[in-house]
Amino acid sequence: MDDYQTEEESIEAVIGGNAYQHSRVNHWTTSVVEQCLSQLSKLGKPFKYIVTCIIMQKNGAGLQTASACFWDNNTDGSCAVRWENKSMYCIASVFGLAI
Amino acid sequence: MEGSDTYLIRPNHQHKFKPAVVKECIREIVRERLSGMRYDPEEVPELSRSLADCIKDKVKNAGFDRYKLVVQVVIGEQRGQGVKVSSRCLWDADTDNYAEDVFMNLVLRCGGFRKLLLLRTTGWMIFFR
Repeated sequence: MDDYQTEEESIEAVIGGNAYQHSRVNHWTTSVVEQCLSQLSKLGKPFKYIVTCIIMQKNGAGLQTASACFWDNNTDGSCAVRWENKSMYCIASVFGLAI
Repeated sequence: MEGSDTYLIRPNHQHKFKPAVVKECIREIVRERLSGMRYDPEEVPELSRSLADCIKDKVKNAGFDRYKLVVQVVIGEQRGQGVKVSSRCLWDADTDNYAEDVFMNLVLRCGGFRKLLLLRTTGWMIFFR
């Protein structure tokens, strides 16, 4: 699963250079996720995808994500990208399951 | 997987994923393990990992054969910051689904010092042949 690049580009395109704004966060998360998903579906591989995006304001608070999966190790996989700027963190993860 | 099942390309109605059942599983485990817990940066990685494993095992044993599972757990410390989590899926809407639960904790310690714990757990189920 080497779509680290795809995810990073999608995040950068949507929120790169912006400061955290509560009113726009809804729109940002959905755009990041939708853009990632459309790039992935363009690859044309026989996979089902789950894409999640977490955007958090920088405040000194801690955040932890973990996932557990029951799948076929030979064909399925996941990828998580951590992105940040001065005012917020963004974590995007993609899970790909072979059909 | 038994040989008799492999011709099925879609689950029967009885074996279809039921979000309510899974949501209940998630809720039970989360409430049991997290009530009264406070956010501790040292313990949280282990806690979130074991929570995800627990939930995955419980859902596996709930009897949804022919389903792959993905469980994601997000634990955050509440300090007044804004957080937004969202997800999208590319799957077969007829057979695949998800269940999620949000848990918020308020812990009061002596001296009125509070550290809050916010948790969102999501479980996705994907049908496979």
